[in-house]
Amino acid sequence: MAQAETQRADLQEPSTPAGRMTFWGALMRNGVYQAVSTTLFKSQRRQFWILASLPLFWIFFANLGPIVEMFWIGFLDSYPPKVGYEPQFTLANWAAFFQDRVFIIPFFRTLAFSFIFTAITLLITYPVAYFLAKHVSRKNQLLFLLLLLIPFWVGEIVRTYAIMILLGNNGAVNLALKSLGLIERPIPFMYTGFSLGVGIIYLTALYMLLPLYSALEKLPDNYLEAAADLGAGAWTRFRRITLPLSKEGIASGCTLVFLISTGYYATPVLLGGPRSTVFAETIAGFFHVAGDQWPMGAAFSSIMLIATLGVTGLFLKLMGRDGKGMMR
Amino acid sequence: MTRNTRILMSVIYWAFIVYLFVPLALMVTMGFKDSKFIGFPIRSWTLEWYATVIQDTQVLSVFGYSMTIAIASTVLSLIIGTWVAVFLGPNQFRGKAIIFALACLPAVIPGIISAIALRIFARLIDIEPGMFAIILGHTVHNVPFVALVVMARLSTQPKSHIEAARDLGADSIVAFFRVTLPYLKPALIGAGIFCMLLSFDDFVRAFFLGGYQPTLPVLIFAKLRSGMSPEINAISTIVLIMTAILGLWAERSMRRLNKGS
Repeated sequence: MAQAETQRADLQEPSTPAGRMTFWGALMRNGVYQAVSTTLFKSQRRQFWILASLPLFWIFFANLGPIVEMFWIGFLDSYPPKVGYEPQFTLANWAAFFQDRVFIIPFFRTLAFSFIFTAITLLITYPVAYFLAKHVSRKNQLLFLLLLLIPFWVGEIVRTYAIMILLGNNGAVNLALKSLGLIERPIPFMYTGFSLGVGIIYLTALYMLLPLYSALEKLPDNYLEAAADLGAGAWTRFRRITLPLSKEGIASGCTLVFLISTGYYATPVLLGGPRSTVFAETIAGFFHVAGDQWPMGAAFSSIMLIATLGVTGLFLKLMGRDGKGMMR
Repeated sequence: MTRNTRILMSVIYWAFIVYLFVPLALMVTMGFKDSKFIGFPIRSWTLEWYATVIQDTQVLSVFGYSMTIAIASTVLSLIIGTWVAVFLGPNQFRGKAIIFALACLPAVIPGIISAIALRIFARLIDIEPGMFAIILGHTVHNVPFVALVVMARLSTQPKSHIEAARDLGADSIVAFFRVTLPYLKPALIGAGIFCMLLSFDDFVRAFFLGGYQPTLPVLIFAKLRSGMSPEINAISTIVLIMTAILGLWAERSMRRLNKGS
């Protein structure tokens, strides 16, 4: 409030006789500025459109433009344009997807992997979020939360590398297992679905944790107390109160983690092996390895976008209706 | 809640913390190992790799390049994001829900698809792969985050602030710059640092939109594909420390949002 008062005093300054002219006072008394300002804001409607101009331009140009363009290129037989050749409309790029196992298998593998990783992330982070929201005192919450946040600020590549060091044949896990006498030879963790999962969960867990935490934090304690008074056991209270009331957090966490984990490219390249090739690598191939097959890559990207948004849309609809879809 | 479940949950929490920190700690430790070979055990220690990295002109120039991109895209994201928030926050109009959803779109599209769509788009509007394309890509990705943070802050601003300014003769522009913008300051600082981190750490967009000059994550990726080396550990450690400091600063600035006026 104090801030507002000083501002009010500042605004009055130009009208005081001995007062020095502030920048803003001078600006507002300037005839040119006055003329421009009154023309610009002549009506509410005009003011609205001036305010809307840049956001609407940005949203349609930069947000929607690339997606629409990607869909469009997927229907052309050649792109980038060559001199003296007019690209023709074709459905071949889309059809190619359904004709080759080399494409379909990574596609379904990506969806299945992302689904499994999302489920595991939910199982791991739910108790963590619950502990943080309900069992840590207000004073310590910030500190405990910061401990979780710090590793997540570090970028994808650095954290992927950290996982490579952890799981390598001479990595910490193998060393620990060996010195405990549990194994004689190092277990080849790397370049499998397992190492990829460890990496992806490591990268995405926070996107699950934060929505869960904020949903659980809002859960009133007295609901649980009332249920306990009425004789509900711990499991019943969890199933009938905690879970339904944290539904929103679960929904947004799962959506985020699913979408983000389908989109990683570098992590599968570094951590995954030939048996865990994901669709992102297939798509990237059309742009880098196999030369310029942009239309094919564009069509495949479009298929993946439709699939991922479709899956999450379906999931949100299931969650939105009554949440039973989640609990069954 | 019984005592046992409570203990179990605290065990899970700390196990999770260990899972988050151990890989990073191992990576940092390996950067001090006196051998080119990445792996245990470590017999003797050295600072040699840091000396190599600091003297490596390629690493330094790549670092500067990444920094330039991060700063430029942060500035653009803050301007556009704030403008979007000021437009979408208080105004009611038909189709607002759709516009809002479209405004958030780049934040939810899987990274690889966003990168490829932007690569194709850059070709359409005739931008060569390189610095400008990456800046555009990062800005597209960051604007939704800025807009959401600013909108949250904007919704807590009392209407009387603006009304008072208007009563005292300020027009919309002056009222925005003198009253609303100072009120948004902590949100803008937080969102700005967040944008810098996102841009600096981003791999997939920089990889597809970049030309011959790599950004830092792209350089590390390229080095990793030809094998692990302690130099990568040293570079990564430096990045890790910088990121943590920036992140803590952003967090501190965002914390004030809940308290402030």
